Amino acid sequence: MTATTAKNLIDQPYKYGFVTDVESDTIPKGLNEDVIRMISAKKNEPEFMLDFRLKAYRQWQKMNEPNWFHASYSPIDYQDISYYSAPKNNDSEKKQSLDEVDPALLETFEKLGLPLSEQKRLSNVAVDAVFDSVSIATTFKEKLAKEGVIFCSISEALQEYPEIVKKYLGSVVPVGDNFFAALNSAVFTDGSFVYVPKGVTCPMELSTYFRINSGETGQFERTLIVAEDSSHVSYLEGCTAPMYDTNQLHAAVVELVALDDAEIKYSTTQNWFAGDENGKGGIYNFVTKRGKCQGKNSKISWTQVETGSAITLKYPSCVLVGDNSVGEFYSIALTNNMQQADTGTKMVHIGKNTRSKIISKGISAGNSTNSYRGLVKMGPKAHGARNYSQCDSMLIGDNAEANTFPYIQVDNDTTKVEHEASTSKIGEDQLFYFAQRGISEEDAVSMMVSGFCQEVFNQLPMEFASEADKLLSLKLENSVG
Amino acid sequence: MNAQTSFSSKEIQAASSDQYLNGLLKQCQGQAVALQDSETATWLQQVRDHASSSLAQSSMPTKRDEEWRFTDLSPLMQHDFQADGEASVAPSTVEGLTLPEASTTRLVFVNGVYSHQLSDVTDLPKGVYVGNLSCMSAAHTYRLQNYLAQQEGSEELFTALNTASLTDAAVIWAAPNQIVETPIHLLFLSVPGETPTLSQPRALVVAHTSASLEVIEQYTSLSESENRPNTGELPARQGELPARPYLTNAVTEIWAEENAQVTHTRVQQESQQGFHIGKSAITQSRDSRYTCNAISFGARLSRHNLDVFCHGSQSDTNLNGLTVIRGEQLSDTHSAIAYTTPHCTSDQLHKCIIDDRAHAVFNGKVFVPKAAQLTNAAQLNRNLLLSPKAHVNTKPQLQITADNVQCSHGATVSQLEADELFYLRSRGLNESDARNLLIDAFAAEMLQRIPTPSLRKTLSASLREGRGQKAEGRG
Repeated sequence: MTATTAKNLIDQPYKYGFVTDVESDTIPKGLNEDVIRMISAKKNEPEFMLDFRLKAYRQWQKMNEPNWFHASYSPIDYQDISYYSAPKNNDSEKKQSLDEVDPALLETFEKLGLPLSEQKRLSNVAVDAVFDSVSIATTFKEKLAKEGVIFCSISEALQEYPEIVKKYLGSVVPVGDNFFAALNSAVFTDGSFVYVPKGVTCPMELSTYFRINSGETGQFERTLIVAEDSSHVSYLEGCTAPMYDTNQLHAAVVELVALDDAEIKYSTTQNWFAGDENGKGGIYNFVTKRGKCQGKNSKISWTQVETGSAITLKYPSCVLVGDNSVGEFYSIALTNNMQQADTGTKMVHIGKNTRSKIISKGISAGNSTNSYRGLVKMGPKAHGARNYSQCDSMLIGDNAEANTFPYIQVDNDTTKVEHEASTSKIGEDQLFYFAQRGISEEDAVSMMVSGFCQEVFNQLPMEFASEADKLLSLKLENSVG
Repeated sequence: MNAQTSFSSKEIQAASSDQYLNGLLKQCQGQAVALQDSETATWLQQVRDHASSSLAQSSMPTKRDEEWRFTDLSPLMQHDFQADGEASVAPSTVEGLTLPEASTTRLVFVNGVYSHQLSDVTDLPKGVYVGNLSCMSAAHTYRLQNYLAQQEGSEELFTALNTASLTDAAVIWAAPNQIVETPIHLLFLSVPGETPTLSQPRALVVAHTSASLEVIEQYTSLSESENRPNTGELPARQGELPARPYLTNAVTEIWAEENAQVTHTRVQQESQQGFHIGKSAITQSRDSRYTCNAISFGARLSRHNLDVFCHGSQSDTNLNGLTVIRGEQLSDTHSAIAYTTPHCTSDQLHKCIIDDRAHAVFNGKVFVPKAAQLTNAAQLNRNLLLSPKAHVNTKPQLQITADNVQCSHGATVSQLEADELFYLRSRGLNESDARNLLIDAFAAEMLQRIPTPSLRKTLSASLREGRGQKAEGRG
């Protein structure tokens, strides 16, 4: 990237703030059982789904909004949100090629400054694009079908594979798991569904691209990934939203199920609108993500690059049930301006010889708050279980806040748990060294941040690693000096 | 997070807890007798009233409170503690508990009540006062007003409960530039009576500018000390003494003024039926140095709140902790270091050795606000689990808003290394010797930091013997 383009980017901190002008079908604001019945009817869902939703709604009504996290926001009026919005006349004709998809998706990659050759490579990625509440296109379906991999929107899955959905939906995150998960279970409208049959290694990266467009909707999507015995799948998700000066709620649920010897790799680049520098507007990203290593020797790996959202509350977790199963969590959380992030992971060891690894890098700049909150729990039967956690924080500017809240609970004497955390800033002498070699302070900081995060970038699929790296330096523009 | 933690059994308690707290509070107020001197009585009464009124709004903590999430107080609340602490103790029985280094700088409290007969403060340098509050003249007590019960966090429930019954306290007062060479020994004895006893000892340590002193604060129970060292076995299981529960709710306030140095050794060896809730609140001024060696061996349920407030730059804080528990013991350490000024350093190492079905809790907080630039804070919690049923909850916690700082924390939970055991066994040590050697080495790092040789010796002996008896019981 040349110096001039870098300069241009400085004045445009959030590039995806445009609104796409499409006619949409939005139901009136408010939430009650009728709304839920309406959503279910619109999507022509099987009977069990309506029961699932109503059960969740009834539990949600009895629950209180949580307040234990290290973030503050004005109360959300759940009756002032529209729970369904879809672009009109889109369901009938599904687009088959990436080129025909919402131009915002393509533009986004362009705006990230990715060279065209790299963008070409993205054509080897199957994409499910979710616009507001509805999946508008899924690419490469036939190619995947040849291998037996099912990749479609969850509403399609409910029509075509109701038995699989019924078996696994809610098996990892029960309807009443927490306040936001219960809300999602009641009103979710779409999301992605992946099913990888026995022994299959998915031939390409699967990806979902989430876009909130309407101003007054919340986005509640639901992702379910099931990996049968000895299968492998790598899945990516990306998200953007337009700039509105009101806050919007995004309460998603992601469930992963890995059976014997299966492996799921789940990567996220989250870049929802973060609000302006005074903290006005932005997305509340209250997400429940949980993976269950149900089978022996299974593996679930979470990688996340969190740069957007006004408030992020997100704890991608692994429940390690199967013996010898492995959970991994790699995270970069960057907050700037008035952003607040309380994120981390939970590793619940239940089976024998289960292993988990946590690498978390938090970078806070501006007036932001960045907290790592993690739980490592070794159950009484998790003999020989092992955990290693490392969470490093970097502070840029003296108004930023970095916190760590690691919880470690050990109930047996054959496990090993190690936790390390550190907080520091970019050293004056490091900056001096770079300046000596003619590298500007801004470039130096961005290089050091990228070095600080290298461990996590290494886990991302290649195209997304370079994207994420650029995303970080973009976000940090103007935060130094 | 972790919404699945079960709270069900606690909710039942919640209704009666206020009532329970009221009962305790009544005990406190009954105990608070007016002092002779009216002027002192007035301000003390104000301090007590303030504490009582803050209690009126609170209720006993449950596992729903973040601060008490892993420590269940319901075993404590099964008892109806009475604050009628009178008990006489013959000087001969205390001999085994005194320290030769501090033979003439010793204050003894029995069930929270000052014992003139057992104390000995004959050899003190000029400008140093060691004694109890009620024996001080009005002119002196007047000066305590700015210190006694003035630490931050005094509205915390158990601290307020102690303050509500505050009539007497151990007072250590070092005038500017006084260097006290001999350690000062505060011995708090519990002699459990027929009814469950409540004692609420209180201590105040003030080290003025450039003063230096060493305090040893020791909590033990007499019935236990006669059969010392503590065995780690529940009497009920052995069919020995009937269970005599008691509650010690101790508060110690320490003020280290500019350039002062305080070394604080806190030894908790309550009996296996004892409940111990202790607070150490420390305020440090500029250039002051404070070291805490907190040793926790005893009590069925113990909790130590260690709060350090650094209000001056260049202050230096060292916190060392060792918890050794077995049987059904629960030991909880909550430490917090709060900075308000730049250039402070702190170093904390807390170790736990957990055997049988015991449960250790550690929560270490470090608060570094924006004003506290150039803070250098390190914290490490290491846990050694010796049995399959032992468990530990640890939560080191950093909250940082200053950018130019170096802070780190770490926590480990592990067992004795198989390789290390094998190495020792290949050198001809039998398994129990090899294990003991490794456990001793783990504990020694902490015990060696205690500056008083005789105390160091008795503590490591009591560790070994406790283990020995356990082995016999097993064999």
